[in-house]
Order: sequence, then structure tokens, then C-alpha cells
Amino acid sequence: MNALLEQFLSESRDFLQGIGEKLMQLESDPESIPLMTELFRFVHTLKGNSGLFDFPEMTRVLHASEDLMDAVRHGRVSYSQDLTDQLLDAMDFVGILMDEIETTGRIGNSHATNSVELTKSLRELLAAASTESEAHAATPHEISDIDHPSVDQVLEEFAAVEVDFANDTTASFGEPAFELNEAVAMALYRHAIGGSRVFWVEYIPEPECFFKGEDPFYLSRQVPAVLWHQSLLQKDIPSLAEMDVYSSQLVFQLLTIATQEELDDIFRYVPDQIQRIEIPALAFVVPFGSEHDDTIDDEFITRTVGFINDGNLERASHSIRTMLELSAPELWSSSLLRWAQLIIELEPDNALIQCALINQLRTHEPLDLVALTQDISSKSASVDSHLPNADLPHEHDEHEATNSEASHTDATLMASFYTVLTAQKNVLSVPASPWLAGRMKSVATTLIATYRATHQVDEIEHIEHALQQALADNTSQPLLAWIDKVLDSAPELSDIQEAAPIEMPIEQSTQEVSVATEEVILDPSSKFGRRVEDTSPHFGRRAEDTTTVVSKTLKVDQEKIDRLMNLIGEMVVAKNALPYLANRAETVFGVRDLSREIKAQYAVINRVAEEMQDTIMQVRMMPVSFIFQRFPRMVRDISRKLGKEVELVLEGESTEADKNIIEALSDPLIHIVRNSLDHGLESPEVRVAAGKNATGKLLIRATQESDRVLIEIIDDGRGINPNVIKQKAYEKGLIDESALERLSDEEAVNLVFAAGFSTADVISDLSGRGVGMDVVRSAVERINGTVGIESEVGKGTRLYLSLPLSMAVTNVMIIESNEQIFGVPMDMVVETVRVPRVQLSSIKQKQTTVLRGRIVPLLSLNELLALPQEQVPNEDDEFATLVVRVHGEHVGIVVDDFRETVDIILKPMSGILGGLGGFSGAALLGDGSVLMVLNPRELI
Amino acid sequence: MAIEYKKSLAVFTEFVGVEEAENLLQWLLKNPKGKINLATCEHIHAANLQVLMAIKPLVAAWPADEDLQRWLAVLEK
Repeated sequence: MNALLEQFLSESRDFLQGIGEKLMQLESDPESIPLMTELFRFVHTLKGNSGLFDFPEMTRVLHASEDLMDAVRHGRVSYSQDLTDQLLDAMDFVGILMDEIETTGRIGNSHATNSVELTKSLRELLAAASTESEAHAATPHEISDIDHPSVDQVLEEFAAVEVDFANDTTASFGEPAFELNEAVAMALYRHAIGGSRVFWVEYIPEPECFFKGEDPFYLSRQVPAVLWHQSLLQKDIPSLAEMDVYSSQLVFQLLTIATQEELDDIFRYVPDQIQRIEIPALAFVVPFGSEHDDTIDDEFITRTVGFINDGNLERASHSIRTMLELSAPELWSSSLLRWAQLIIELEPDNALIQCALINQLRTHEPLDLVALTQDISSKSASVDSHLPNADLPHEHDEHEATNSEASHTDATLMASFYTVLTAQKNVLSVPASPWLAGRMKSVATTLIATYRATHQVDEIEHIEHALQQALADNTSQPLLAWIDKVLDSAPELSDIQEAAPIEMPIEQSTQEVSVATEEVILDPSSKFGRRVEDTSPHFGRRAEDTTTVVSKTLKVDQEKIDRLMNLIGEMVVAKNALPYLANRAETVFGVRDLSREIKAQYAVINRVAEEMQDTIMQVRMMPVSFIFQRFPRMVRDISRKLGKEVELVLEGESTEADKNIIEALSDPLIHIVRNSLDHGLESPEVRVAAGKNATGKLLIRATQESDRVLIEIIDDGRGINPNVIKQKAYEKGLIDESALERLSDEEAVNLVFAAGFSTADVISDLSGRGVGMDVVRSAVERINGTVGIESEVGKGTRLYLSLPLSMAVTNVMIIESNEQIFGVPMDMVVETVRVPRVQLSSIKQKQTTVLRGRIVPLLSLNELLALPQEQVPNEDDEFATLVVRVHGEHVGIVVDDFRETVDIILKPMSGILGGLGGFSGAALLGDGSVLMVLNPRELI
Repeated sequence: MAIEYKKSLAVFTEFVGVEEAENLLQWLLKNPKGKINLATCEHIHAANLQVLMAIKPLVAAWPADEDLQRWLAVLEK
């Protein structure tokens, strides 16, 4: 899989997720324009991206979704529950396709149909709701034509064709019509009988297709196993000079034995422009040749029909062969005989068609293809169904009723006879259409053939009379009346019909056209629904994956980001050189104006650089959910192990911080949560005894406070008893006796962070080794964070971590001491004061001063750094004092002078210097000098 | 060039693309008796097919490609 596709897939999953979320949000706020717009943007982008690849199925659905969203966005379609369902369905489908692409690299043909159906239902929604709908884009008619997923039965096939007749208002697809020659027709017939499905494909390219880079002709030529084809122009070109060569008027028609899958694959880009209909074998049975210049004597016909009805096919075949040898091969009758022979060979059981065909020799009338096939199909259907049902019991009645002299006709044939009549009646009942005349002729021909087959020759005259009348009036009434008359005169017909319920569907198929259409529409959608269900495990898997997908949002290699970070760091340094330059311009070269201009320019660059820095830091931001997500499982496991009941609540999972911070936070947090579970929360019995809910509550909350992230872990457990802590600390020698007295409860509780401290009496696999909280504290401090704890006995404990959002850029204050400059991280600086020498006082050989009513110990920086010099006061004999907060206490560090604050990229010391205490790192300054940044915590 | 126009004969060679259609139409309109030679043609774009079907010029030579020849049989008058 190439990188582009990979990116497309991962991106698209995010989009799908986004679309799903937005749809959900829309459900509660359907009027929201911003939501709509964003949703549209998602779908739009996704569609555009999918177009880069060869996934027409996906693009088509997305395109329809996009159109729908666009309509909704512009208020042309109102938002509805149904719409959400449809869109979610469509997105699920796209998700399935993506799964498939990911595993196999392509989309299987099987999805083409679903894609078309989904697209149609989306378009329908658009059409139905929109006032200026292009209704024809999704008429049921078209749907019924394009796909017959399970139409194997001839009957169903023709139900659909009948729909064609009745609804022929907007469709450009016609009924299948082909002029074959005998060889091709016979080949098709053989294929169809042999089990191949013969498809009629009509491909009407849309007029603009040439502009889409399509070549419909080429596409048509790609269809395999084509036995017949032709290309047509939709209409005559009115004026050749004005002909638009780039507007397609073409129609391609073919008969192929290619499989449905092959066809779907070839036409996968234009599924709405083709019509594919399966043609039943018997539709090809048409005799060819010149017609009226030959006569076959009645004797032969009667004899052959007799052979067939007696089941003596060998003799029938023999007699036909003899007749063929006597006739000229190009004659119509010869062609017919060849057909008869072929049918006897391939369909020996189909006596009815054989008879009908042979009887045609008498009438010399070409049978209408569709009507003939329908008769035969209904005949064959009824023959099949009647055999067990309407059997011999009716024989006697029928003979009487019809007064037939055809004594050898069996009951099956008679039952079929009425079936044919009923079928013909149904054909005539179909609402009027341009084909009426042809249909009436075909009905009459069929009736005549039927009567001949049943040896009721005297009735033929009446039929012909009725036909003439019908043609003259252009109404099917006379014929219908005639059929009704015959049917009425056969009182046992109802018995036949009752005995043969199979006939009901035949009637319904023609009369209840709308029902048939609906079924065709409904079927595919239900199929799709089922398929979605089938693949539900996939959805489940994807839902689980999403968390990792989210964390993968940082698609860029981290090294690149780091490099970007370094570059912006250098940029900041370079930028910081400008004030120096301005300074030099003024002091060294004495150009004050230039200095001012440089400063103005610096302001601009400064702003851009800061923004850039900010943005890059945003890139590195990760939500805390990255570490939070493992807690539910962990808490569950541990509480199970400890026999405690714990309810975990996570809050503020979307709070973001720098990736490094988040990663560094992971281990300390696990420590803390374990501690809370182990030491904090009591077992259910103890809790109930203390009047608390048996289920303990553990809340992990992340919030952002200006430029820091605050993470709190709050439990409602037993809390920490400060006296116990003090005692333990004293026992372990962590504090002395005086401290034991002096420490406040809060300070005492914070002793848990002291190295080597543990309150647990028993060492368990969870905690109690005394390496818990101090490790947490040092880990947090390493990333410039602070940690604290508050506790109330019996009520619970609140542990909080305060962390910088980012550790990339550090704001430091530059101080001067011993003619050197040093940096001190600003977040440790509480204040800077100038303390007059007179306010200094010594307590226990240590210098102190009183600031705002509290005693602050003073330390000399030179002394801390083991420099022999005394600190230098200013002209007013005041000492520059930097008050820093170390472990919650204020300490004054006496320096020589204060300078400005700068943003620097702090580089930790490496190599030999790495082991040097007292410094947190070094940074490059704008003038190229190196700034050592102090770490007061280690220093003091 | 996929179509070579001679005095009264247009010779189609190999693959005739969509961009030829306009010229082909103009040429056939200008030369109503112009013939087409498809002997070495393997495929013509549907736009060209449409022009040929609309005008039905005389075919001087049918394509050697049998499949194409069958498809173009519609041009026989």
C-alpha cells in the first residue's frame, strides 16, 4: 500500500469519526448552521480525497452525501432523523470499504450494487424533500431495471418488464429488442438452457460523458462473452453542421453471457447509465427466413404434435429431420423446424412449446417475442405446478365444458390452456401503451396457436374477428370480452385456480405493478441492512481503534517536530540578538534613529516568532486522555485484586499538554492512583462501618490553569493522619524532634513525598516499599512540575500535580553575580527586592531579613557557587535579593544585580557537565554568549 | 496524428482519440463523398463513432481488428 493511500485511510477514519460526531450533535441541535457547515466540509473533503484513488463505489456514495449535505446546508432540504440515519448508513458503508481497502488494497465488486443503492436512497431523500427536485433521478422504475439481485425466475423477470411498459414515462431505457440471426439466437438459447445467464445490457452514456474522460465505446468493447451487440444513436441528428460532437447521443446494446460480477465491474463507474436484464432462454426462439412461399401439410403437423404429446420425442425428431431434408434450408419453416429440433434436444420435457412451435407452421404468423415467452413461461410454470395439483380429476369436466374433440389432450394440457387464457387476459389488462396494437396481435396469435394446439380449430375464426374489431377501435375490449366469455363458459376454472395457487402471483405481477416495484426497492435496502449487521464486529473493532487513531493524529515524525522546535529555538535566539544590535547602534555608533528602527523591527519579528513558537508547541500538544485511557482498566483490575469497590471518574480528558510532559506524567500518575487505591480507599466493610457508600470514588481531573496543567487525584477514602505521618517520619529519621512539634498538619502530610517514606506496615506488590511518592515528586519536578497533597482524616485525600503546558521554552530571569550572568527560571521566582544592609539580621549565623512580616533566610549566590567574592550592593547599599520558592518555602538569594527576563530554549547539560549539580541547563543568548541556568532547588 | 486526411480519404490509424471528433466532423461535412480507411485502426473513441454513425461515410477499408469491425458494421448502408 502506498504512503498516500495509507494517509488517506487514516485521515478518512478521522473524518468518519468527525462526521459521526457532528451528526450526533446535529441531532440535538438541528438548526445549527456552523455544525452543518462543518459537516459539509468533512464530507466534501472526504469525497475529494477519495477521488484521488480508484474507488468509484466510495466516491459515488460520498458525492451523494455531499450533495445532500449541501442541500441541507442551504435549507433546501430540512434536517430529519431519516436523513441522519441515511448519512450514518452511508458512512458505515464507507467505513466497510475502508476496512476492505486496508486489508485487500481494493474494493470488491460486491459493493458496487450497495453503493448504487445507497446513492439512490440518498438522492431520493434529496429529491423527495427538495422542491426543485430532479425526481427522475431516482424513480422506482430505474431501480427496478438496473438490478435484479435475485431474479432467477422468469416470472419475476417479466414482472419487471411489465413495469417497464406501464411506467414508461421518464425512462430512456427501452425494453430489450434485438434482431439476431438464427445461429446467434440458437447459440444464446443453448447458453441460456445450459445454465449461463444471458444478460441484455443497454448502456446509454450520459451526454456529458466525454468531458469526464470516458469512452463509452471502449467500455462497451470491454464486455466479455458478447454474442450480439449494436450501437445506435438516440435520435437522428437534426443538422449535421450543428451537431455537438462532444455530447453523447450513443446507445450501446449487447447480449452477453458475462457474469453479473463482470458486468458490474466493467460498468462500475456508470452503474446508473446501464440497464441489465436477464433474458430467458425462450425469448431467443424465433424462426428466421422468408415466410409465405412454403407449405407444410397438416398431416405432418398433426402427426408430429401427436408424437410429442405421446412423449415419443424420437419419432417426432425423426419426422422433423425428414421434413427438413425435404425443404430448402433458408425457408422460414425450415428455421422453425430447426428450432423445434433444438428444443426437443435441449428441453425434451417442454412439450407445450414444441407443440406451439410446430403449430406455428399452420398459422404462418410470427409470434410476438415477449408475449410468446410469457405464455410459455406461464405455461411452463403452470405445467410444473399443475402436475401435482390440478390433475386428472378435472379431465372429464373439461372435456364436456369445451366440447373438445381433442380426445388425446390430457388434463395438464387443459389446465395450461386456461392458464394461457388468463395470462393473455392479464397482458391485455395492462394499461394502454403505444404497444397496444402489437400486444393485441400477439395475444390473438397466441390464442390461435393455443386453440390449434388443443384442436379447437373452429374457435380461431372468432378470435380473428375479435382481433379485427379490437384493432379497428384501438381498444383491447373485444378481445377481453371474448376471453371472458370463454373463461365464463368454463365453470371449473375457479377450481383449477384454487387448486393451483401459483397463478395468483402471475396475476399480481402484472396488475399490482406498484407492489412489485416496491418490493424491488425494499429488497436491496434490507439486504444492505443485513450486511451491515453481518459485519458489525468490524465496527466494534474500529470503535476500539479510535483512541489510538486519535493519538496518532500527530502524523509527523516526532524528529521533524523536534527539529522544528530547535529551529524556532534558534530563531528566538537570533531574534534576541536584535535588542543588542539596537543597543550597539546607539551606544557604539551613536545612531539613535537606526536603533529605534531596529527596535521597531524587532517588535514585529518578536511577535511572529512568538506566534510561531506557540503554534509549534500546539503541534506537540496531546490530550491527557492519552494517559487517562489506561486507568479504567487498571483501576478495575487493582480494585478487584484488593477486594474494593471503586467508581472511577475521569474529567477533563481533552486537556492538552506537551507530548513530553504527558509522557513523563504517565508513570507518576500510575503510582499515585495505585497509592490511592491501596492506602486511600477502604474496603467496602470499613466504608459501610464509617457510614460511607460501599463504593469508593476516585476522581482524576485535569484542568488548565493559565500556562499550567493541573491534575488532581481525589479519593474519598480514609485520608492521611498527619500524626501518624510525623511519627513514622520521626521513626525513620526523616525529621528531628523539633520538627515533630513544629510541623503543621499540611506540612506533615506532605512528608509522604520524602525519600524513603512509607506508611504501609506490610510490603505488598502494590506499594509499601518506600519508593513511591518521592519518586513521583522527583519525576514531576524533573519536568518543572510541582506536587502537593491535602488530606482530611476520614474524608479523603486530594493530590495535585501542577505541570507546565510545555517545557520547550523557558522564561528565565538573568541575574548578575561575580561579574557573571546566570539564569533563574521565572516560575520559581516569587519576587525581587532590594534589601538595605540595615535590614539584614543574623539568626544562628545565618543572614535573614523580614519581608512582609515573615522571616526569609538569605543566601549569597557566590557562597552557594563557592565563589570567594562578597555580594556587591548598589550605590544605596541595598542588596539585590531574589526571593524563590523552594519546596513551598521562600528563600532569598542575594545576587549582585538583576537583568531582564528572556525566553530561552533550555538545553540540559550533557557529558561531563551532566553530573553537575545546581544547574538545570544552559542556553544560548542573542549575543552568542552562553547562559548557565541555575536550579535553586538543588543549589539550596 | 491518428487520422490522416488525404484528398478524399481519411485514414484512421491505431487509436483515434476524442480530440479528433471535431475535425472529423468538419472534414466529413466538407467532403461529403469522402471515404474512410479503417484498416489499421484499433479503436476509435466513442465521440468519433458518433460522428461516423451520424454521417455514415463510405468505408474504403474495414478494420483488421475483427471486434472493431463487428462493432462498426452499423456503418454499412
